[in-house]
Parts: sequence; structure tokens; C-alpha cells
Amino acid sequence: MIETDIVVGSGLKLTCSREELTQRLGVVARAVSTRTAVQVLLGVLLRAEEGRLHLAATDMELSLRTSLDAEVQGEGAVVVPGRLLVDLARLLPAGEVSIEHRAEEGSVRIECGPASYRLHTYSVEDFPRLPDVDALQTFAVDRQPLLDTVARVSRSASRDESRPVLTGILVRFEGDKLVMAATDSYRLSVKETALAVEAPPLEAIIPSRALGELARVTDGDTIEIGVHENQVVFSSGGVALTTRRIDGQFPNYKQLLPETFEHEVVLPRAELLDVVRRTAVLAQRNSPIQLEFAEGALTFFTRTQDVGEAREALPVPFTGERFEIGFNADFLREGLEAMASDEATIKLISPLRPAVLEGGEDDPTYLIMPIRLPG
Amino acid sequence: MIVAHLDLDAFFAAVEELEDPALRAKPLVVGGDPHGRGVVSTANYEARKFGIRSAMSCAEALRRCPHAVFVRPRHTVYREYSAVVWDTVASVVPTIERAGLDEGYLDVGEVAPDFARARAVAEAVQTAVRGATSLSCSLGVGTSKVVAKVASDRRKPGGLTIVPPGREAEFLAPFDIRLLPGIGPRTEERLRGLGIATLGALAALGDGDLATLLPGKNGRMLRDRARGIDPRPLEPPSERISISHEETFERDVGDLERLHEELRRMADRLAEHLISSGRAARTVTTKVRYPDFSIRSRSTSLPVGTDDAQRIGDLACALLDRALADRAGPLRLVGVGVSGFDPYRQLALPVGADTRPRAVDARAS
Repeated sequence: MIETDIVVGSGLKLTCSREELTQRLGVVARAVSTRTAVQVLLGVLLRAEEGRLHLAATDMELSLRTSLDAEVQGEGAVVVPGRLLVDLARLLPAGEVSIEHRAEEGSVRIECGPASYRLHTYSVEDFPRLPDVDALQTFAVDRQPLLDTVARVSRSASRDESRPVLTGILVRFEGDKLVMAATDSYRLSVKETALAVEAPPLEAIIPSRALGELARVTDGDTIEIGVHENQVVFSSGGVALTTRRIDGQFPNYKQLLPETFEHEVVLPRAELLDVVRRTAVLAQRNSPIQLEFAEGALTFFTRTQDVGEAREALPVPFTGERFEIGFNADFLREGLEAMASDEATIKLISPLRPAVLEGGEDDPTYLIMPIRLPG
Repeated sequence: MIVAHLDLDAFFAAVEELEDPALRAKPLVVGGDPHGRGVVSTANYEARKFGIRSAMSCAEALRRCPHAVFVRPRHTVYREYSAVVWDTVASVVPTIERAGLDEGYLDVGEVAPDFARARAVAEAVQTAVRGATSLSCSLGVGTSKVVAKVASDRRKPGGLTIVPPGREAEFLAPFDIRLLPGIGPRTEERLRGLGIATLGALAALGDGDLATLLPGKNGRMLRDRARGIDPRPLEPPSERISISHEETFERDVGDLERLHEELRRMADRLAEHLISSGRAARTVTTKVRYPDFSIRSRSTSLPVGTDDAQRIGDLACALLDRALADRAGPLRLVGVGVSGFDPYRQLALPVGADTRPRAVDARAS
């Protein structure tokens, strides 16, 4: 068994520092459910054991766990309404906080200086079991490249819950290479990152939201990764983030990326991004930005009805027949923002075929589907 | 005015045949479940030989042709083909009024000064459509929409019928009254009851008879149409800012499943409307009315417009759940609306496409 056994002992009783409690509660609070029919998911699990207070919260997709030093007088566990505890801890006067579970009352007593509180509790037995981090087989990855890879592709993940697979990021470890891909079907980001140390093979679709939390809740130089059944555990600096793997088949992104293009235009990225940002001001209500390629010049044009229009031309080394293609302004901007290189390459086939943005070696490949221009 | 009506021949079935050439020689029915209550959406010409027609029940189609292949409609695919068709048509005749995925009116007069040249334009349209998509279409050309519409149906598939000016009434006269746009089942029954079965007979009605038979403006309009007189201009794409459906219950409904079902049914209709008008909506709104007549509505907006029934339904149901979480209740009324139309279409990658098995061989099940 590598699941946490929850000890229901003599009853949790401890003292800890208010600052540390508040800080650690802040870490797990993001996993506390906000809307749920399952009451216990609104709670934070407190477990006192061997001189530490362990905290855990889960919304079934994302779980967060951490711990802090405590003077434990009685070991045990209890689930306390999460929002309430977080709000309360933040407002408590500085100093020591004592927490005591009174099982017979079905409540927890919290005392801090002259203030005392009694909170109703939820049943510990109902709290979901989370994989035991210490018993898991894990491997270590440098934190910064991992987080950077997430940050460069996550904009392309869908936020539409009706398409679960697309709300995830495909994460694949291939030896000394980490690959991530995300798509909301309108654009696709793929990034390969070289790893300093080889990792065992692993492929999983992981909720983009969970990966986004990693940057916030972890610190330290490395992140340990382990897999337990349909869950993936990331741990670093005393924080464990568990997330479910998304079931299903991630789109075969290699097949979606065109191999050959009709046009390739290299532009200074910062300048291009500035033009896109300026033009986008007038691209309201999803109006497309129109890119008009002509001999030697690329003109950006947009028009929003009853608002106005914008036009700006950039000199480009373009030769060939005139060519117009439309893109969603945000998608274009986000693709350029995810790059770090000085130059960006726009690769095009035709006005109704996918376009690809590329930067340097370390930049993601960004595919963007056009908008069919009216008329 | 020189106007053409373009109608794609057995459009859904023709697309399925292009997607899977093995279907070409077989009787093919695009529609619902032949073992359920589905209806025929489109049958290919092979299936039509067995008397299978649009709107017939699939069960009946199966009875008429037990070896027919039944496939479920795939609107996403049809929409893509349709978009290519209309882009192609627009490269020949720029002003178009789309009346659906597979039909529309073309302002031929804009590019052809006379009927002789109108024929060349219509042929160019057919050639261009076939070249771009391998689909065949039939066109009718006339001086008004009604004549063009009746004419396009004259020589299907791949037909071209030109009705020169002055010959409209003569052309329309032999046709059944059912073919006249604007004649509903009740009017048809009424006219037939009085022995008026052809457009010629309708056109010949005197003012007195017409006033008793079909009183009001509508009667005069229908007789005008039967004579080939139809002043309707080509209409640019609709400018409506929202469309919605709602349902008031005879008795208040508290059953969530039933409410969801209602919403999904409305979502289907909204999606159909969006698809046929070639638009996508970014905002979905669910409206509820409680027994005390108070109304609430909840909206959600998407980054990119949709015309997908499933997604509109999912969103509408989630919004209903939110409204009911704020105030529970039985409801007097539910409604769904869509707004925030995009006149342009954000193209999407073919991901998360329909994974249902495509061809259902009726004999196998």
C-alpha cells in the first residue's frame, strides 16, 4: 500500500507559529474546492504527527500538501472548513496558535492570544486518500526548465471544460528531452527542452491548471516527479502537488504540423510584437488582424465595426504574389510572447491553411489557425 | 434582375461519397438511426431509385431498401465543404444570398448583362464548384427568386435551366403548387380541395376567387409568384444580433433531467440556424422563469464563436445549473439564446473530432 493511512488517534492537539501556519495554508488553499456537492472537499485536512502539522487540500483534480513545524501534544487528523481557516489564520494576532480537535464535540478549538474560536469539522474518513509521496518511485528534474516549458506552451491549452483532453498539456519525458504540447484546436504549442539529466520515459496529459500552480507552490532547484495509478505527483521544497492524469488520446500534433510551406518570412520579433499589440487595440470583439503580404512589405490591418481601424506596414523580404491571411489578435500576440529569440519566422501555406511561428532553438513551435476573412 | 438559384445535388450524401468512395455505388442514406426514430436527411441518387426521400423516416427507408448504408450526418464536414463551395461561387459571382449550407441565390445580373451571358456564368459556376470540390450542383436562372428556385430543381443532378424574361408564367404553369415557395401544407390542402393543383391554375385565379380562397396580402403574393412575379431582392447576410428559443411549460417543471433535455433540444435548433446562416456565436445565455414570474438569465462567453449543438447544449445546461444553484425551483419557462456573432470563421485543427463509427451497416445490427 502506498496510500496515506489516516491515523485517528487520541485527537489532534498542537501549537504552531501563526506566520508559518498562514504561509503554509496559503500554499494548499488553491486546491480547496469552491463549488462542490462533496462537502469534505471544502475542507483542509490537518494531521499532527511526529512534531509536524501536515496540511492537505484537494478538489479531486488538484491536490496540494505541505507541512510545518509544530509542538504536537496529541497526534491525529481532522478536516476543517478551508476558506474559513485560511481567512481566520490571516487575521489572527501574531504569536503562537494552538489547535485542538474535540472529537466528542465534532469541532476544533483554535486559540491565539486572547482570541478563541470553535469550528465545526468534516469527517476525516470522507477525505480522499492521496498517494504517499515517500513511498513513490520518483525522478528529479531541474525546476526551472520544467516550469519554463510549461509557461511557454500553457497559453494554448483550452479552458473549455467540455473538451477535457484539450484542457491538459501533453507532457513527455524522452531520455534527456522533455516535450510538452498544448492545443485548444485554434493553435498548438510544442516545445522540446533539453534535460541536464536523463529521465525515465513518461507520457501523461496533465491539467494545465495544475502545471500552472507548480510555479507558485514550489521552490528549490529540483522537482521530484512520481506516478501513482492515474495520478502524477510533483514534489519540491516540502510541497507535494498531486494531479490526476486526463484520460483520452491527445491529438497527434506531429501530424498537425505541416512539413512544407509556401512562404517563410523572418522578422525582428520585438518589432513584430509591438505592431501586433498596437494593431490589436482596434481588433475588438474578435475581429481578425489581417496580414497582407506584398512585394517587400507586410501590412497589418484590422477593423472593428463602429470602433475604427488600424493599419501599419513593416518592410519584409517577401517576394511572390500578394497574399492575405487573418488571425485572431490574441492568438498571434500570445504566440510571439511565448518566444524569447530576437527573430521570429512566420511560415505560411495559404490563407486557409495553418501558419507556424518559430523562434530560436529554445522557443516553442507555435501553430496558429487562420480566420477566414469575409468576402 | 438576373438571379440564379444554386442547389448542391444530394449534398450531404455527395460529401460522404467523396470522403469514402466505397459508398459511391451503394444506396446511401444520411440521417438518423434506422432502428430508432431518425429521419432521412439526404439520400444519394442510388437510394432515391428505391423511393427514399428526405424527411422520410429512416425505418421506412430501411424497409424500402434493406441493403442501404446509413450514416449519421457530420455537419462539421459538410460545413467545411460548403464553405469551399461558397468561396468558389463568390469568385465567379460576388453577391450571394446563402439560404443554407447547400443552397443560395446568386446575383448573376451583376456580372452578366443579358441572359445569353448568364448561361455562361452559370456554367462557369458549375465548373468552378466541380473543380474545387468535385461536387455537382444544379442551377436555375430567371428574373426572380421564385423562378430561379423552381428552375434549379428542374434537371437535377448537374442541371442548368434558364427561364428567359417573359416566359416565367409559361414555365411555372405545369408545376405542382407544392413546389411554390410560400405555400404551406394548409394552403396546399385548401387549393387542392378546390381543384387548383398547378401553378398555372393558381396564376389564372381572378381577383374575386382569390379574395375568397386566400384572402389578404398573402393570397395576392402567392398568385404573383405563380405568375413569376417576385419582387424580393437578394438579402445580405442577416444582421440579427441574437437568436433564441424558449419554452413555457404547461405545468412547472422541477426535474433537472427534463430541463436539460429541453435545453439541448433548443441548442440543436439554434446550432442548425447558425450553421445554415454561416455564423458562429460567442455568447450563450440561459433564461429561466420561476412560478412567481421572476426571470433570471446567466451567460457565458467563449474565446471563439461556436455553432456546435453539443457545446451550446453543454454550456446552456451548465448555466441552468448555476441559475438553480442561486435559486432552486421548479420553473415555468426555460430558454437558450446565442449572441455575439462572428461574421468570419476561426478555423480549427481537426482535433477531438467525432470518434463515432461512421458507416452503420443496417444489416449488421
